[in-house]
Order: sequence, then structure tokens, then C-alpha cells
Amino acid sequence: VIPIAYNVRNLAVRKATTAAAAAGLGLVVFVFASVMMLANGVKQATHRAVDPNGVIALRKGSSVEIESGLDESSVALLGAMPGVARSAAGQPLAVGELVVLVILDKREGGLSNVVIRGVPENVLALRPSLRVKEGRAPRPGTNEVMVGSSIRPRIQGLDPGKVLEIRKNRPLQIVGVFEDDSSSNESEIWGDLHVVQAAFAQQGTVSSVRVRLESPGAFDRFAAAVAATPQLHLNTWRESEFGDRQTQGTAIFLSGMGTLVALLFSIGAVIGAMITMHATVEQRQREIGTLRAIGFTRTQVLASFLLESIVLALVGGVFGAGASLLMSLKRISMMNVSTWSELSFKFEPTPGILLAAIALAVVMGACGGLLPAVRTARINPIQAMRGA
Amino acid sequence: VTLWTIAARNTLRKRFRTTMTVLGGAVAVLAFIMLRTVLDAWNVGVAYAAKDRLSTRNKVSFGVGMPKRYVDEIATKVQGVKNVTYCDWFGAKWAKDPNESFSNIACADNAFEVYPELEVDPAALARWKADKTGAIVGDMLAKKLGLHVGDTVTLEGSFYPGDWQFTIQGTYTAPRQAAVDRSTFFLRWDYKNDRVPERQKDNAGWIFARVDDASRSAEVARAIDRIFEDREIQTATMSERAANNLLLGGVSAVLDAVDVVSFIILAIMMLILGNTIAMSVRERIAEFGVLRAIGFPSRQISAFIIGEAMLVALFAGLLGLGLSFPLVQMAMGKWLEENVGHLFPSFRISVPTMIGAILIAPALGAFASLLPAIRAGKIPVTEALRRTA
Repeated sequence: VIPIAYNVRNLAVRKATTAAAAAGLGLVVFVFASVMMLANGVKQATHRAVDPNGVIALRKGSSVEIESGLDESSVALLGAMPGVARSAAGQPLAVGELVVLVILDKREGGLSNVVIRGVPENVLALRPSLRVKEGRAPRPGTNEVMVGSSIRPRIQGLDPGKVLEIRKNRPLQIVGVFEDDSSSNESEIWGDLHVVQAAFAQQGTVSSVRVRLESPGAFDRFAAAVAATPQLHLNTWRESEFGDRQTQGTAIFLSGMGTLVALLFSIGAVIGAMITMHATVEQRQREIGTLRAIGFTRTQVLASFLLESIVLALVGGVFGAGASLLMSLKRISMMNVSTWSELSFKFEPTPGILLAAIALAVVMGACGGLLPAVRTARINPIQAMRGA
Repeated sequence: VTLWTIAARNTLRKRFRTTMTVLGGAVAVLAFIMLRTVLDAWNVGVAYAAKDRLSTRNKVSFGVGMPKRYVDEIATKVQGVKNVTYCDWFGAKWAKDPNESFSNIACADNAFEVYPELEVDPAALARWKADKTGAIVGDMLAKKLGLHVGDTVTLEGSFYPGDWQFTIQGTYTAPRQAAVDRSTFFLRWDYKNDRVPERQKDNAGWIFARVDDASRSAEVARAIDRIFEDREIQTATMSERAANNLLLGGVSAVLDAVDVVSFIILAIMMLILGNTIAMSVRERIAEFGVLRAIGFPSRQISAFIIGEAMLVALFAGLLGLGLSFPLVQMAMGKWLEENVGHLFPSFRISVPTMIGAILIAPALGAFASLLPAIRAGKIPVTEALRRTA
């Protein structure tokens, strides 16, 4: 086998050409990895702070909270279903929440749809990962609210001590900032259920009911009992499945767009690699003839040149993937197309995404190198050594 | 023999390389055109917004709406308003296939007077006005779902729960304007209003007003909001253009990213071009030495290297543009317009994009070849002659 050091040295000799071809491949890998990290970031935002025992119920036909509306009495009905966990005081762990969208001014200019979530007093029993980072939690039954830590820097005036004017003469007083494991909850504003209901003329209505089960295995029993109560007219999901549905549209949109762009880009980069390898092969006719003359077989020469192209692509791929990791420092905020509300998220790398990006580089290198490598293997050693 | 013909002939010396470079460049131009067209398609609602139309919404929330009596107040109290209508996002799903997605909107029966770009046959319009459960659908939606006048169809409500039956009374087209979604399902607002629970009754989601004089629309908008300033539910009125812009603002992060990426692809194209040129210059150093020795000034040598690069890039640009019509406009654009017309009512390559692609390609060629060209011109004649590639 021709030692790989031969190929590496060849690449090093043609520094400029190698760098240009590798940079082209690297840009493709960078774009691909970034978009995949973004799609993953959107998914993760609704996947965090999910309770494996948690269940959410919406009105039948709705798949997002903003579309759903239930009578507040269904909270007690759901709490009485089999499999529902109880608090130390013996109360069933079921809460009704009301979600409304308000239009607020972004700090950078323009307007945004932000979720205000009305929650009852016992909500923290179902949200174990939430904690107040600054200020304090709102007192139940008052017009106090707390804001999520990732929406706060995006929207004007979302600071503790300030007031949100929702309706005339119905100000909401901001008293704290909360964190919840970097989840989508941090893109919301939370206040007292009955105050939010009154502010939006939705007395007696909730958007969703959250229930905590005794164990994840109790779900089937619970769901069957809900389905057997037709007057409830509800759909139930595990919190984890529900989270996926909230960002499915946005995640598919981002990864579909990214894949299409990466595909087109990779064709360009493969052609770039092909031109480079083709030129190398032409310049090294004599060398190749010598290799063949001293006994290396056609297959060995072919493999060597293919390998050279892959090494070239790997250099680009590693740089591209490395650069994409820098993107994880950046936060993106956009409208989640499924829930119509502002969602803030990060580029989130996973080992799988990085591996896929590097694999993409290898495939591009192999595609670009194949044709020139086949040509190399076909070279007649005698003619080549005579100098074509 | 002029320098340009030399440049042209040089491109044919390494046919494989030139072909590949043109192909690579063409793919890059194609990707550029596609991304620019995506951006144009998103912005189409802003670009084609009617100048004489205002939209009024609840100041606090898009989802909540306003009392219906606000409509009458605007019509009677505000000067300069030609006509007023109101619509609600109905948000129901096609009962036969919930994955089928199209907009369905509950409107007052005068909606088509405020939206004259949507053309409806007068007889169909009269039938719609006479039938509370009637629906007027876009011609593209009618074709896709195989709907005919007189058909009874069912939508499954989500925001307004339950099964809703409609009779198709007609279709609308938009012959004078391309940037209109021809896949919307219009139902009657009063049909919806009859069936919703008491707390949702007599509520108008959006109010649309046409003004007599487009130049006075800002003034009229302020006059509308002033009426409701001291009410419990306040309004925010803006031009159609501003309202459409606002909706786009939500995905501005993505649009910015597409914008950036469309220029990254040009960078890739430049790398491919620059690499090719650098390689051929390196191979031909000895030739340049000969040209210099027989009296060509170095400036001319640089000029024809740049000329060669521009020529290759121009071909790449032309090929990319040529490919973009069947691929981006006919295949992708047609599919998007037919299937997700509510998002992309018009997915067409714009003239500025075409001109841009054709101008940018040779400019990038020139830029990419600048460094090798200058270097080739600067190399001393004796040294160049000594080099054998």
C-alpha cells in the first residue's frame, strides 16, 4: 500500500490549491452543521424541563395550547382520573393553565408575539425544574408576574420593577425573572391564572390541563379513562411527545431548508475538489508512472489518490465542523410557526451532528476524487515516465 | 488575434477543467438564485401590499379581536374611509385529510369589495351573499381538492370546535396580481358567529378599511385608533404594508440567515474559480515569459488572465440562470404555489435577481483572478522563461 504520508505531503506542497479546495468543502460542512444544530436547538427548547410523569390535555382537535379552550371544571375531573399523583396534603396534582399571546415591542425594534401564561398557585408542584433567578415569585391572586430569562433581553421593559400595560387600567407588575433548564418556558411571562383570565375576558377558561402521574407507566390507564369520558372531549399527550409537536413545523422547516442548501452547495464543492484532484493527477503523471513501474498495482494507485481526496475533504470538514461549534455561542430568536409565538433557542451541537458533518465531508471528498483517481489508475507507466 | 480571442481560446485548452469550472459556477449561481427567490417570495406580501388599505387589530393581542360594533363606528365616524370589512382567522382543518393545509377565513359578505384584486363571478357572489353556509374558494384550491359549485364539504374546527358544513358557491381568481394566495377558503363570518358560544360572539378579529385617498392613509389610521383610545379594548391600525412587514418580522432571523447563506455560496464559487485560474496560471508561467519577451506589457498579460476568468464565470452565470428556470421556477415554484400557496403565493425569479446573477458572475471571476493575474504580470521575464511546468 502506498503510505498515506505520500498524499499528505503532496497536499502540503500545493498549499494554496489545497487550502482553496478545502475551504470550499469546509464552508459546506459549516452551513450543514449549523443548520442541523439550529433545528436541534429548536427541538431541545421544548424537550427540556419535561417531566416523564407529566401529561398535558387539550381540547380535541387542538394541537397547540393557543388553539385550545377548556372549561375550568375539567381540571377537577382530570384530577380524579386513575393514576394521578397526589401531593403530601392529598390533593391531586392537576393544574389548569391559560395561554394568551400579547404583542410587545422588541428591544431591537418591531413587534413580537409573547406568551403570557396564567398559572394557579400550586403550579410549582408540576414544574420542579423552575427556579426564580432574580427578584421573587409573584404572590398568588395578585397582578404580579415573572418573566422568563430568555425573553427578557428580547423585549422592551421586561425588567423587575416595571409594569406591563395589558388593558387599560389592568397593569401587570413584574416582580421576578425565572429560569427553567433553558426550555421554551423561558420565552414566556407567567402570572396568576385568575388575573390573566380576567385581563383577557376569559373567566372560567383554561387552555390546557397539566397532570402529574404516579409513574410513566400509568399513562395508558389514565388516557383510557379520559377517552372513556366523552363529555371531557380531550386529547392527552405525555409532556415529552407534546413538546415535539410544538416545534415540529419549525424544526422541519429549518432542517429541510438546510438540507436543500447543503445539497446544492455540496455539488459545487465536489466539483471544486474534482478540479483540484484532476489538476494534481495531470501534474504528477511522471510520479504516477514511477509508482506503477516499481510495482504498485492499479488498485493501490487508485486507492491512494482517492485517499488523498478524502484527506483533503477531511481537513475542510474538520475546520467547517469546528467553526460551526462557535455558533453555539449565539442565540436565535424567531417565531415558532406552530405556536405563533416568539421562541428563543441556541445552536445546539450533538456528537451525531458533528459526525454527520464530517461524514458529509468524506463523501464529498470521495465523490470528487473518484473520477481523477480512476484516470490515474489507467495511466500507462511507460508513456507517463517518458513525460506526457 | 486580439487578447480577447486568446483569452477565449485559452479556456478550451483544458476542456475538462473548464467544463467542471463552468458547472461548479453554474450550481453556485443556481443556489444563489434559489435563495434570493425564497427571500423575494417571503417579501411578496410587503412588495405588493395595497396602498389604500388599512388593517385594524386589537392593540394587545392578535388572537383576541375587537367588538364587532367597532366596524360600524369606523364606517360612520371616520372621514375618508371608502368601505370596511372584517375577518376572523377560522383555522379549521380539511376533515377528509387534516394534513391538507390551506387558509380558511371567516369574512363579512362585503369582503370582496375591500379586496378587489380577488375576482369573483357576480352570480357566485350573489349566491354567497344569499347562503350563510356558502363558501368561496380560490381556484387553485378548488382544482387541488376537486371542488365544484354546489358541493357540500366539511371542515373540522380547532379554535372553533366541531364539524362545519359548507356549500361551495363559487371560486375566486386573481388575474391582475400574481402575489395573491389562490388557495384560501372564505366562509361567512355570520355563520361562524351564530354557532360560537356566547363569550366568543360578535367579535371581529381584524377590521380592514379602504381609504378614498391613499396619501391620507396614515391620517385615517390615526383617526381610527383615536376613537377607541379610551375604551377598554384599544386598537392598532396600520397600512397593509406595515402589517405584512410585522408578520415577517417574526421570521426575520431565518430571512437574515438565508441572506447570509446566499452570499456564502458566492464565496464558494469564487474559491472554485480562483483555484482554477491559479492552477492554469501556474502551468503557463513559461508562456507568459515568452509573451513578455516578445513585447507584451505585463498589464496586458494580467488583463487577459482576468478576461479568461470573466468569460468562464459569465458562462457559469448564464448556465446557472438557464437551469434556474426549469428547476427553481417551474418545478420548485410551481409545487410551492400549488401546495403551500398560503405561505408562497408567488414563487418566481425576479428581474433584479436575474440581472444580479448575470452581473455578479463575471465580477466574481474578475475578483477571483485578480491575485494570480497580478502575480503572473509581476514575475521577471527571465525567471518565467526558465520555468517549465
